[in-house]
Amino acid sequence: MRVATDIGGTFTDLVYVDDEGSVGYAKSNTTPSHFESGVIDVVQKSGLSPEEIEMFIHGSTVVINTLTEKKGVKVGLLTTAGTRDVLEIGRGNRPDLYNFRFQKPEPFVERHLRKEVRERLDGKGNVISELSTDDILQALEYFRKEKVEAIAVCYLHAYINPGHELETKRVIQEEWPEVSVTVSSEIIKEWREYERTNTTVLNAYVKPIAEAYIDRLSGRLDELGMTENRYIMQSNGGVTTFENAKNVPIHMVESGPVAGIFGAAMLGELIGEQNMIAFDIGGTTAKCSLITNGEVRVTTNYYIEKTEKTAGYPVKVPVVDIVEIGNGGGSVAWIDELGSLKVGPQSAGAMPGPVAYGNGGVQPTTTDANLFVGRLSKKNFENPVDMDEVKRAIDRHVADPFRTSTEDGAMGIIDIANSNMLNALKLVSVRKGYDPQDFTLVAFGGGGPMHAAELAEELGVKKIVVPNASSVFSAWGMLMTDLRHDDIRTYNRKLQGIDLHDLNETLKEMESESTRQFIGEGIDPSRVLFMRNVDFRYVGQEHTVKLPIPAGILDGPQMEELKARFHEAHEKAYSFHLKENEMEMVNLHLVGLGKVKKPRLSRIEAHREAGSGPKEVRSVYFRNGGWTDVPVYDRETLGAGFEMEGPAIVEEPNTSTLMVKGQRLQVDSYGNLIIETGVKE
Amino acid sequence: MTTSEISPFVLEVIKDSLMSIGEEMFHALARTSMSPMFYEVLDYACGLTDKHGNLISQGNGVTSFIGMLSPMVQRVLEKYEGGAGLSEGDVILINDPYVGGGSHLSDVGLVMPIYHGGELVAFSANKGHWTELGGKDPGSFTNDSTEIYQEGLQFPGIKLYDRGELNEAIVEMIGVNVRLPDMSLGDMWAQVAALKTGEKRVRELCRKYGRPVVTGAMEKLIRQAEQYSLGELSKLPKGTYEAEDFIEGDPEKGGPYPIRLKVTITDTEFICDFRGSHPQVMNPVNCSFYGLMASVRVMFLAILRPQFNVNEGLFKPLKIMTDPGSIVSAERPSPVSMNFEARMGGAELIWKALAPVLPDRLTAGHLLSVCSFLLSGKHPDTGERFLIVEPTLGGWGAGEGMDGQRGQFCMGNGETYNMPIEIAESRYGVRVTDYRLRCDGAGAGTFTGGSGVVREYEVLTDGQEMTASFGRHRFKPWGMKGGHDGSSSYLRVIRKNGETEGPFGVATRLRLNRSDKVQLVTATGGGYGPPEERDPEQVRADLKNGYITAGQAEAVYRLAENGADS
Repeated sequence: MRVATDIGGTFTDLVYVDDEGSVGYAKSNTTPSHFESGVIDVVQKSGLSPEEIEMFIHGSTVVINTLTEKKGVKVGLLTTAGTRDVLEIGRGNRPDLYNFRFQKPEPFVERHLRKEVRERLDGKGNVISELSTDDILQALEYFRKEKVEAIAVCYLHAYINPGHELETKRVIQEEWPEVSVTVSSEIIKEWREYERTNTTVLNAYVKPIAEAYIDRLSGRLDELGMTENRYIMQSNGGVTTFENAKNVPIHMVESGPVAGIFGAAMLGELIGEQNMIAFDIGGTTAKCSLITNGEVRVTTNYYIEKTEKTAGYPVKVPVVDIVEIGNGGGSVAWIDELGSLKVGPQSAGAMPGPVAYGNGGVQPTTTDANLFVGRLSKKNFENPVDMDEVKRAIDRHVADPFRTSTEDGAMGIIDIANSNMLNALKLVSVRKGYDPQDFTLVAFGGGGPMHAAELAEELGVKKIVVPNASSVFSAWGMLMTDLRHDDIRTYNRKLQGIDLHDLNETLKEMESESTRQFIGEGIDPSRVLFMRNVDFRYVGQEHTVKLPIPAGILDGPQMEELKARFHEAHEKAYSFHLKENEMEMVNLHLVGLGKVKKPRLSRIEAHREAGSGPKEVRSVYFRNGGWTDVPVYDRETLGAGFEMEGPAIVEEPNTSTLMVKGQRLQVDSYGNLIIETGVKE
Repeated sequence: MTTSEISPFVLEVIKDSLMSIGEEMFHALARTSMSPMFYEVLDYACGLTDKHGNLISQGNGVTSFIGMLSPMVQRVLEKYEGGAGLSEGDVILINDPYVGGGSHLSDVGLVMPIYHGGELVAFSANKGHWTELGGKDPGSFTNDSTEIYQEGLQFPGIKLYDRGELNEAIVEMIGVNVRLPDMSLGDMWAQVAALKTGEKRVRELCRKYGRPVVTGAMEKLIRQAEQYSLGELSKLPKGTYEAEDFIEGDPEKGGPYPIRLKVTITDTEFICDFRGSHPQVMNPVNCSFYGLMASVRVMFLAILRPQFNVNEGLFKPLKIMTDPGSIVSAERPSPVSMNFEARMGGAELIWKALAPVLPDRLTAGHLLSVCSFLLSGKHPDTGERFLIVEPTLGGWGAGEGMDGQRGQFCMGNGETYNMPIEIAESRYGVRVTDYRLRCDGAGAGTFTGGSGVVREYEVLTDGQEMTASFGRHRFKPWGMKGGHDGSSSYLRVIRKNGETEGPFGVATRLRLNRSDKVQLVTATGGGYGPPEERDPEQVRADLKNGYITAGQAEAVYRLAENGADS
């Protein structure tokens, strides 16, 4: 049996899947002072016995919380002489263009704790000044006096030649064995010194905290007798061992949200879908990500606290490429200074929540709008709902100012929310050169299935999949992951006259290094799988196109074929190609997967007729049809092979799926809802 | 269907779509561009106007272009008989500095009329800084031009595409007249592709909702913005405010040139009267009326601070008056290559005049100048020619309740990124030997001015050439309410043998040889409030962090005990 636990703001969730593929879950309260207690509670609450658990996967927000709450440790930074202020200067950008009181992000290390070390490499990694050990020792003395708890080291061009950084680490560990050390070249091998320095600093900042947390959790699991196969979810969509996570905790920064995206890719493998848009709507945000040829896109363009108005902090580690917008079920409708209706990004959150929750919320949310037009029913809420309050909120904040009926006001909220989400969906598809017609929309989370029908039509998507247990789909995704390491290295070479021997050697070395790491994690090399990618571009361009490259030794003819494929891919992404222009490689990206045994997924029973027919007929308001009677089905009663035509609603605990007129639904043998939208070529 | 018959929320959705088109074009262009000026510096803008040339939405990387796209479209309309001379598939190429949307030749604009059902509905337009446009100096940046003819190729609003047909002659002419044709033409094609993205989106909207509904939504957007603008104006303190300053140029050629401004705020108008400023000069620091207008619009936005996507309606209350033929309203054939000196200088007068009455929006003076730096030479490994063109970071002024920001680009920039040392060293074969904050303690105050930046390049081949223009060299960023002035920007050359040249504010094709170093040093911003009122804890922290010296802590901030720790 595999078990996944995920710590959320309110609840700690546990999901398990047994060897027969049956899925079950449990919930307990999150315990903020000692998160590991909540984990142990939920394991005990699930009634699973530790002997049954073969694999334990853990997702935690400990890293992102430590960063956003600024609760990490005191860090000292060592840099190349002349670059002490790189961390504070940053990139100098001002995204809030007309705000002349703009404030840039505060660096995580104060200036007096940033010390310079004489040493220098050139742009090719050659040493032009030797490393000064004296400078390191002097800095250490100061750091001790200042009670620094962790040291970050980032030298210029260390991504090519880590020699000076590794030597610095050796000196530190010899002089001061207790202090926590992070050197840039052990985390990132890409150029851009500010981004590397910041990432290194953030890792140092959270490392002692994450270590202590994992140690405590590990101790508690030991007590339960769960000592084997314990893994932590990483932001790249794979898992890693506790030991490795302690060393590079920054890889856990987005461990929760990526699991659902990865789950969509796994589901696609099962049901034969290669190209998908994963779409997850929660309480406060909507997230989407593109899956092409069964692969989840992993990049190093991640930032924390970056918005349209703030520069944020770059974290250059592999993170699943997700577009996230502040639009969820709890997003609040309001009217801006221009008199336009807006929904989100402010959210009513869990408290007070939507007006329908009856906890004192007064501003209408997307959930309230869905309730008022009948897409949701009062029965979907745990509390008794006061519909008059909901109507009053929509009238006061939306319908009255625009002089419309309450129904139209509620539809207005849904339209604007959909418009926001459509923009996010376009951002990951159309704007990257992909035609949504070639993609299947996988909708999950509490709100995904509710909005997917209309969004799919707008976007031109032909098929929607609403997975089984869609509200806990993210945790399910976590159960289906392999061990994964991404090694991304800047390897800037023009293709004209490229040294193929050096390239092949470099790739081979990267694979050996990855294999060594897997062996260290107890994975047999026979279960290790590699995927090689290269970021290519035309010389002079900044943006790259990632292409997979074949395994084994690369030769001339293969390089020619790659060039042809690059022109094609560039044409797709950017609508033109430049046959005559010279090309270059920028980064090598090796994905190593340590394959673990996956549970099968159980099939559901076939019965073509719904067990008891619709459980009710409800009046639902549509923009072009007014109030219409719509049959409402209970998802649990729908057997494999069941078919019907919209409009209809399918309800399950924590979410509802809406189908509009003209759409056809079929239940597949795994219990997934497959909806054909009727969009024509 | 007309606007009155459709749901107000459908109109909202269309407005939302229109507002996102400018952004989409902007990102499309960043992805496809060939030159660092576009993709690193984001020195360009993309937008959409209605059929009269009123701005509907714009995606920006820098502030400077915000006021340029719509006058540029209006100029195209004027030239082509109000639109009668335009057809579907046309693309107009324009960089004339003295007409609508003009700044300097390097900023090249493209305009495309968008038709639906044979009717003109809108324009998509963009404008960006080409790294090379010919003229007498590499990078088409020149400090000593006396006429525009020396500054590069001029495109007076000609058809690059005529009814979808490419005019190959123009492409060929550009190809032979610029030094880096791949880069310039690559940018041009990227600009064309972005225009087409805008065209496609507008036509999709028209197909879906009908043309009248879409144009109705455009009108509504503009009207709502105008109402917002008037509403905000009514909250500003009424009256007349004045300021004076100087535009610096190359001291060997003349200057400094005085400029002056009277701002009058009434219930319905925001009038900027620049009359009485110095006449135009034979030195490329002039700007045209339209260049000035663009930066005045930026200041106006910094004062109104709308949280929505900017459109034409916002600018309706704005009036600008100048003397034709003055340094802030130069006429053909005055040189304008470094026009941002007059453009920003002029606009900053509004800042200076209003900062005392709008402390919640405006701070003390900042580095002001783009501090443009240009270096050309040969790469030591490959022997290939390279060209660095970049703005330089500096300090911003302190304001009510906040210290000035350290190391930021000037007001004319925005979502502009500095060049990483590691990329500069690999790509250009230079060495960046120093990159740090200039902790000179200038701009002292209750809130301190932000530090400028020191960036030092060592050149690694003989025969490199450097051109630069650093404003605020003779006149420092101003402090306010008792805060001290900041420090001035300068360049300095350290020759291989240790001899130094400078400091100076302007350099023109200065020759550098292997192992020579050039130091770029930018201004620290002005302070706010008397220094002796600064929180002593904060002074101690500044001292510990090395932002100020022990001497300054004692003499300027009156800190009694020594809080030094290192």
